[in-house]
Amino acid sequence: MATQKAFYFDASACNGCKACMIACKSKNALPVGVNFRRVLQYGGGAWVPDPEYPDFLQPSGLFAYSLSVACMHCQNAPCVNICPAKAIEKRDDGIVLVDEDKCIGCHYCEWACPYGAPQFDADKGTMIKCDFCVDLIDQGEAPYCVASCPMRALDFGELDELRAKYGTVSAVAPLPPADLTDPAFVMTPHRDAQPVGQGTGRIYDDEV
Amino acid sequence: MSEQSLVMKALTDVTLKRRSFLKWSAALSGTAALSGGLSRKLGPAPSEFARAAASEGEWITAACWHNCGGQRCLLKAQVVDGVVKKVKTDDTHPDSIELPQIRGCARGRAQAQHVFGADRLKYPMKRKNWAPGGGKKELRGRDEWERISWDEALDLIADELKRIIDTYGNEGILEVGSTLGGVFTLLGGAVRPWGTTSWGTWYYTGDIVGLGDGLTNTTHNDRIELQKSNLIVIWGGNPAWSAQGNNMKYFLDAKRAGAKFIFIDPFYNDSAMILADEWFPVRPATDHALALGMAYTLITEDDPVNNPLIDWDFLNRCCIGFDADHMPEGADPKDNFKDYVLGTYDGQPKTPEWAAEICGLTPKQIRYLARTIGSTPKVSLLTAWAPARVNDADSWPHMFMTLGAMTGHIGKSGSCTGVSCWERSADGGPFLIGAGGAGNPRVQNENAIRTQINNGELWNAVLTGQYTAGYNDVRNVNIQAIIHDGSSGLNQKVGMTKGIEAHRKVEFVLSINLFLNTNSKYSDIVLPATTQWERYGYLKGNRDHLIWARQITEPLFEAKDDSWIAAELAKRLGLDADLVAGLPLQQQIFNQLAGAWVLKDNGVDRENLLTITAEDIAEMGVEGEPQEGRITLQEFKEQGIYVVPRKDGDNFGYIALKDFRDDPEANPRKTESGLMEIYCPAQQKMIHDFGFTEVDPIPTYNRPREGYEDTFEDWENKVKGEYPFQLFTIHYRRRSHSIFDNVPWLREAFPQEFIMNPLDAEALGLKHGDIAKISSRHGTVIRPVFITERIRPGVVTLGEGAWAEIDEETGIDRAGATNTLNGAYTTGQGHQGWNSCNVKIERYGGPDALEQDYLWEQRIPIKEA
Ligand code: SF4
Repeated sequence: MATQKAFYFDASACNGCKACMIACKSKNALPVGVNFRRVLQYGGGAWVPDPEYPDFLQPSGLFAYSLSVACMHCQNAPCVNICPAKAIEKRDDGIVLVDEDKCIGCHYCEWACPYGAPQFDADKGTMIKCDFCVDLIDQGEAPYCVASCPMRALDFGELDELRAKYGTVSAVAPLPPADLTDPAFVMTPHRDAQPVGQGTGRIYDDEV
Repeated sequence: MSEQSLVMKALTDVTLKRRSFLKWSAALSGTAALSGGLSRKLGPAPSEFARAAASEGEWITAACWHNCGGQRCLLKAQVVDGVVKKVKTDDTHPDSIELPQIRGCARGRAQAQHVFGADRLKYPMKRKNWAPGGGKKELRGRDEWERISWDEALDLIADELKRIIDTYGNEGILEVGSTLGGVFTLLGGAVRPWGTTSWGTWYYTGDIVGLGDGLTNTTHNDRIELQKSNLIVIWGGNPAWSAQGNNMKYFLDAKRAGAKFIFIDPFYNDSAMILADEWFPVRPATDHALALGMAYTLITEDDPVNNPLIDWDFLNRCCIGFDADHMPEGADPKDNFKDYVLGTYDGQPKTPEWAAEICGLTPKQIRYLARTIGSTPKVSLLTAWAPARVNDADSWPHMFMTLGAMTGHIGKSGSCTGVSCWERSADGGPFLIGAGGAGNPRVQNENAIRTQINNGELWNAVLTGQYTAGYNDVRNVNIQAIIHDGSSGLNQKVGMTKGIEAHRKVEFVLSINLFLNTNSKYSDIVLPATTQWERYGYLKGNRDHLIWARQITEPLFEAKDDSWIAAELAKRLGLDADLVAGLPLQQQIFNQLAGAWVLKDNGVDRENLLTITAEDIAEMGVEGEPQEGRITLQEFKEQGIYVVPRKDGDNFGYIALKDFRDDPEANPRKTESGLMEIYCPAQQKMIHDFGFTEVDPIPTYNRPREGYEDTFEDWENKVKGEYPFQLFTIHYRRRSHSIFDNVPWLREAFPQEFIMNPLDAEALGLKHGDIAKISSRHGTVIRPVFITERIRPGVVTLGEGAWAEIDEETGIDRAGATNTLNGAYTTGQGHQGWNSCNVKIERYGGPDALEQDYLWEQRIPIKEA
């Protein structure tokens, strides 16, 4: 039976520290500007006069949460489907890999992926992306990001097992709707999480 | 833009523009740093490092040695053929609450990029237009650099030190750091700066009033006790940014065990983001007023039977000075705290309404806080040092202790009052494990001068020749050499703009550093030092663990250890070089290992951590005796860490001040009365004797310079002044103070942005990403605006520690170093008031848009062809 490796992320534990992001950069020797894993912060709300003391402003509906996002190794991966060079493949365990020998660096996958996972490596002239640390998991070890998290907010495993353990949520705002690509991803939403497509906030740190 | 395309933009907008960085980025990930353009041959010595290099590769425990406020975490570097391939964290044992892995933060994970940075200082250099006596002094900070040999550099320095001491005496030299401390001591001493930095006013006041400073004397319970609290109040703290590593996880453990969290902070910070049940956006520098309003509520609403909010038993047994019936002998009973709060004699009751006008919370919120904290059985009432880093805040720790004493949250399971911050964040109590001493002989000289100048007037003293030595005691001083031996004194002390002037006044400036940081930039001679990764080893730990880090690489380029530099200078100055150098590092490390101890399960007795064999001693090439201990030296070397397992009910639990609460006579505090002194004449006298400002014996409110009130030109009529915003300066994730600021991965991950509320931004016509010009009474910076609802309107913040980039024409700092904005004030106990600063904000109309600082050229002083 086909299996599917997946990431788990606990937004109720993530304080946005980006240790996962930098651990990943260290593992993959990534240059500035290329990030296989990114942490973004989403939030919103307003400041309004206090009903009893109108001279005092109060936060109203204020919220913020962090999401740590890498390649979702989607079950219905648009990058695989769109690649004209057939350079992107799903392994038997569901991990999506770029074959750099075949890749022509056309960027189609980057544009097709709603998570922005594939990125261009100018030195190699090819697309590169999160490979789920296949070298490590093939030896029974954890992906670098998972092992790095000081908050223990990341986990990995078989998708069905993660779902049994953590539930079936795989998107909150501002992530794309899960039915687009069927991401191999399970998450615990933050207490203030907003539903996909109906978020009232904005991405605070749009830099990374 | 639709939400989805926004995501796409956010997630993909970063790929294409940054090509020029690829080359050196590859270099500094290790590969080329050791084998490519920056290469340097490994010496023939059969060091541990060389052996590792020859093998298939090895994971070596790597130091993370900065003053980061973090957990003191485990890093391991994978070294293959002499090249650091990657860095990982603790995987030495399965992770659990009882025995957590000691996991590092983003900075630790980027350590390789720091150590192997293309901008490391490679060899000694001197400023082109420097000559003994100063040369063209005004060119400091903008001159060109010339490579010189170590011999030339050391000779020049020794000659210049001799000349300056001959001409001006030892007071002619200001030693800002410490790595040449032994040299200067033997040389007859040097002027040294004094004054607390991180602690703010907790340093002296915390102890003197009977609580504790929060570090040497921790006042919060341990992490297991924390989990028993019903309520955890974090007042002016953001451990997610200022105390990284596991500390935030310990708070999360408490939350998951059922504790409710209240945050009192101008910023809905990242700690609050995951922990807070409620957030109270107090204004910076007004915490004391808020606490007084709460005290008023407690006093006026308490009813021992129907509404017990005050712990009278604790107040009556353990404190002095709360009310007229509990005043020390000789004190005027009218001067008690309760009557001050009620306004009995000064006509100003410190009502929630009075406090609200200052602190920005509504009277209702203030009452709610008082009632909640007063009526909840188990409360950890925690603050960090930030609210005490405010001008004139000497009575704040006193006030905080008083609030804890009134509500009785002291010395009980699940209850405590005090400081939780820095590496002790979320886990108080004495250490359960530790290293032995290095065994170095002390360098002493009874005849050395002991002149000290407070940080708040240091640069001014260089410029004016005068400083305050105590009450009514102003003295002359003529400083002609500034020695930055380690530290980052110019960038990291208040009043940097004056500091730069001071650097351009003296005859000689020396900097020993890893980089051309701000200190080095304004120096005459710079010497490249090694990092801990280039040295034999390093031991460091925290309450429940000890780490033995080992050498990762031979010294890079011509970098030398601090001890070597000190010894070479000592030689040239005719001093005892061996004494200054200390023991060989190998021997020091061995001594620390041999002396390493761990508490036995009974929680009282110590045992050796390590079993050491004669072979171990021979292998290390040191002198010592074999010994028995809990684990073998080889095991410790292999693992790199020993963690003491914890569980509820073990003998390692810590409830701060429990002994005192249970029996104050038998376990007195270190105050005159042995009690907690809400009326504390010693505190008043101490502040008076420093000679800067005055406080009362009880914690009365002192209006801070550059606090909220000073944003008004006319406070009574509420007319805003020229500097209408309050800036507070935060520990920022990118850095450990100024360390790591130059690391591109971290620059990219944590942009140096100016954080403000959308209401303020809109009123000023500023949009997210626009460049704001921020000016205080002391200096100007420009930075991109980061707009978020998470900060209170009227309040703005910027991370401390960026390396100043001051435009010579305009004087504007484009890096956003907060000490460009923070003024130098002498205040109270000589602390630095970084969280009291008034600013004005404008759109920056200058010519060039600021590009992200990770795209800036690195500070590589001499570019090789
Ligand atoms: S918290 Fe401190 S010790 Fe831990 S990894 Fe970060 S910088 Fe290093």
